Amino acid sequence: MPQPDVAELASVEAGLDALDAPTRQTRPGLRRALAAVVPPIFALVLLIVVWQALWAAAFWPEYQLPAPSAVWQVIWDSVRTGEAGEVLWNSVHRAVLGFLAGVLLGTPLGLVVAKIRYVRAAIGPLLSGLQSLPSVAWVPAAVLWFGVTPSTIYFVVLMGSVPSIANGLVAGIDQIPPILPRVGTVLGAGRLASARHILLPAALPGYLAGLKQGWAFSWRSLMAAEIIAISPQLGKGLGAFLEQGRAFADMSTVIAAIFLILVVGVGIELLVFRPLERSVLRARGLNGAL
Amino acid sequence: MTAMLHPSSVTSHNTAVRLAGVHKRFGGSRDTVVALEGVDLRVAPGEFVCLLGASGCGKTTLLNLVAGLDKPSAGDITLTTSRPAVMFQEAALMPWLTASRNVELALRLAGMRRSERRERTAELLDLVRLGGLGDRRPHELSGGMRQRVALARALASTTAGSENGTPALLLMDEPFSALDAITRDVLQGELLRVWRSTNTAVLFVTHDVREAVRLGQRVVLLSSRPGRVVREWAVDGLSGAEEAEIIEEINSGLREVISSHAAA
Repeated sequence: MPQPDVAELASVEAGLDALDAPTRQTRPGLRRALAAVVPPIFALVLLIVVWQALWAAAFWPEYQLPAPSAVWQVIWDSVRTGEAGEVLWNSVHRAVLGFLAGVLLGTPLGLVVAKIRYVRAAIGPLLSGLQSLPSVAWVPAAVLWFGVTPSTIYFVVLMGSVPSIANGLVAGIDQIPPILPRVGTVLGAGRLASARHILLPAALPGYLAGLKQGWAFSWRSLMAAEIIAISPQLGKGLGAFLEQGRAFADMSTVIAAIFLILVVGVGIELLVFRPLERSVLRARGLNGAL
Repeated sequence: MTAMLHPSSVTSHNTAVRLAGVHKRFGGSRDTVVALEGVDLRVAPGEFVCLLGASGCGKTTLLNLVAGLDKPSAGDITLTTSRPAVMFQEAALMPWLTASRNVELALRLAGMRRSERRERTAELLDLVRLGGLGDRRPHELSGGMRQRVALARALASTTAGSENGTPALLLMDEPFSALDAITRDVLQGELLRVWRSTNTAVLFVTHDVREAVRLGQRVVLLSSRPGRVVREWAVDGLSGAEEAEIIEEINSGLREVISSHAAA
């Protein structure tokens, strides 16, 4: 065995490290922010310009295509009278509660399906199938079971979100490279320590994708339920607001409601899920898409 | 019987690992594959042994058995060391943890206290010459640097349990074979340096004869399907000419093992 020259080894190694290590890249914050904000604003402005032009051309009667300003007037009025705040609060708090309940149910369900083979064989396909079943299909059944009550609304939201969340966690766990749990074993991790330090963090990106989809499904299930199930007991949510616009043949209210529904969906995505996802993926060097 | 731990047994005197008649079969009764057939092997504390063999000789299986990742079908594996540390062909670092957190994880799972962990992690990263880079994530490191973090982590897991003087054991499964030639050369030197400074027994699996002779004190040749110990060579402290000669000899032995499969 030849004795390596220690000093030379150290300098060759330092050189290799300098050459081989990936360089860190950072773009200036202001330019990055502009690059993220300018294109969607441009698209929105373009949409409004086209809309205004179509309205001015008067191809369709006013009750089918109102002016952008008329829609804005409806939104502004409802904000001033406090109706918008009430309607948004009714819907958003239900969606958030339903989503959180979905997380509490979907997470253990996903863990059990991912880790216990018999359970996966038994209900795995059902769980994937439920994901493609529009949860609005549950509304008639829920109305017959629970009446037009909050239970109906929450039931439909849960049927929308739980399969997505559970399936996301299953996918996240399935995609863990098998070498990582083996490393845990040779480092002496027991079942619990392995789940805490290796399985759960390793499954996080997939789980997060499931949560994001679960939120989207909660929100759209809620809207479907609110459009169909309307009663004074439920208060007025965004779906009921939309349905009211249809009943009065008031297109401006319909478009305003759709706009508010979109604002909530995009807002939660941008304020909650995007930053979470970004920090989780960036820590793992998976920042290509963001 | 499987891995047994008797730290003070007389039979295990001056032995870090002893394999006696180890068999390993895979599969059911009809399509059984015999991976290992009666392997006997002894590694002394602080000794560097290279296991050499072609594909399918059960090198990795053997290592998994010693690591406790799998159980032998028959035979005994006796460890007198602390829980062996394992290094795989890929670094297998946790991608969400920084380099130092990866090393720390080994200490944490071994139950070391936080303040002690910090100190020990810094020492180990210095040992593999990654002192200032502890806050980097795996994707910000080169392949060679990642493998050095993996080495530091492996050392963390051997030494965390051996504070009380039990000898340490490091199992390495072709850890450098996915690296480019220069990096591999540097890491081999690095491994020897670290090995000398830590007095850890090493069981190093490779299919590269030169690597085996350069690193090991002893080279053990395994046959393929089923894996058996064919021959072993002492390769410590050889001169340049002797080394070339022994590499040639081991090479021809390895070729013989491989060509015997063409006839079958």
